[in-house]
Amino acid sequence: MGFWEITAKLFEGFGTTCLLFILTLVFSLPLGLVIAFGSMSKFKPLAWLSRTVVWIIRGTPLMLQLFVVFYVPGMLFGLQLFGGINGRFTAALVAFVINYACYFSEIYRGGIESIPRGQYEAAQVLGMTARETFFTVILMQVVKRILAPMSNEVITLVKDTSLARVIAVAEIFFVNEMDFLSKGLVWPLFYIAVFFLIFVGALTIFFRYCEKKLDYYRV
Amino acid sequence: MKRILTLTLALVLVFTMMTCFTSCGEKSDWEKIEEQGFFYCGITVYAPMNYFDEDGNLVGFDTEFANAVAKELGLEAKFQVISWPNKYMELNSGAIDLIWNGFTYGDEDGVSRTEYVDFTYAYLENRQCLVTKADRVNELNTAEALKGKKGVAEGGSSGEGVAIDLAGDEKLITTFTSQASALMELVAGNADFAVIDYQMANAMVGKGDYAGLSINKAVEPESEVYAIGCRKGSDLTAKINEAIKTLSENGTLAELAEKYGLTNDLIQNIGSN
Repeated sequence: MGFWEITAKLFEGFGTTCLLFILTLVFSLPLGLVIAFGSMSKFKPLAWLSRTVVWIIRGTPLMLQLFVVFYVPGMLFGLQLFGGINGRFTAALVAFVINYACYFSEIYRGGIESIPRGQYEAAQVLGMTARETFFTVILMQVVKRILAPMSNEVITLVKDTSLARVIAVAEIFFVNEMDFLSKGLVWPLFYIAVFFLIFVGALTIFFRYCEKKLDYYRV
Repeated sequence: MKRILTLTLALVLVFTMMTCFTSCGEKSDWEKIEEQGFFYCGITVYAPMNYFDEDGNLVGFDTEFANAVAKELGLEAKFQVISWPNKYMELNSGAIDLIWNGFTYGDEDGVSRTEYVDFTYAYLENRQCLVTKADRVNELNTAEALKGKKGVAEGGSSGEGVAIDLAGDEKLITTFTSQASALMELVAGNADFAVIDYQMANAMVGKGDYAGLSINKAVEPESEVYAIGCRKGSDLTAKINEAIKTLSENGTLAELAEKYGLTNDLIQNIGSN
């Protein structure tokens, strides 16, 4: 098999990797904010519930969560929640979204709680509602403050997608193992690094650009 | 805002619980499969059982065999590539219906596989075989020479048990998620020998990056047979057995075996004795 043929095949797998990455971000970023609100809620049972969820999800390996999401409904209840042709991908997506939302929620919480109390008071004096205060005054400052830890998590996510192979999602490593490794081709395994380096490189540039854009106090 | 949030979260929780308890009625395996019109075979990709030809089509002895059985039963066979060590979880969760990929009838680390699956009739002979680097074949040529050496095998394969016996100590054996990665260990020099299926070794060893390896005839473990693994207690087993018997009688299996060069290993007159 030629170099270009292998590259094309790996690109197919990397497509799945990227799709998993993007969809996980799309769903887990807002969900993380919801969980963060839950953890900060003054309604105690809700706060406990979200903190327990965060504890369980952060306290158990993502790989285990993948197994639980995909296999346990079928084994315990005979339910085929993830049947069909894209079932495995959906199951992996669910596990990734829940996992990353929990990590994001703690970053959000740190960001939100770092905004000085005085700003809320000032907003109140100006007659703003709680919702207005949050979305027009607080949120954008939070975004600026949490950008660096977020970029860390996002880059980790790119590489964590390879865990989806444990439930046989055809991401790049799984494709490599089934198509090349099993035919005696070892070098594509290391060639995969190039895909990740380029992708993460682009992300790094993107985050640096964002940071610069948000650096509005500097002259 | 806060109240809406609380309500939403509570609703999500209730919904999750409901989906958990509305189980979809107790149907037998066969009824379910007949209704949906297909069954899923859990496979890993390797020649000559299930592999992709030049045009990217899935071919192989087991692939065509499964298609023939499905046709006999008025169904369609679908194939799902799985991670081999997860095969029982895949089967019990219903993600696949059959383990059909050169699945050895017998033991795995001394635990009988019949505890996890119901086997159909056996259809093909196989044995585990020893693979070493080609330049060490003369050094590792007896069972004694292999004692205390480092070995690799696929996790949850019957080769694992053989490898442990050869090395004489479980700690010397490392297992991997596929037979191919076990061979890679050998190429990298992290292990002295590997134990994998003969049918697979024949197709892979000595080719591509595995050119430096060779099948070592010093030790010939006893022969085994391949069969298909069904869910425990499933009524699908009997249906498949019937179809296998028909295919064996009408010569379809013999034709397939010839096509893939397995004639010598095919079991004759399946199901009639």
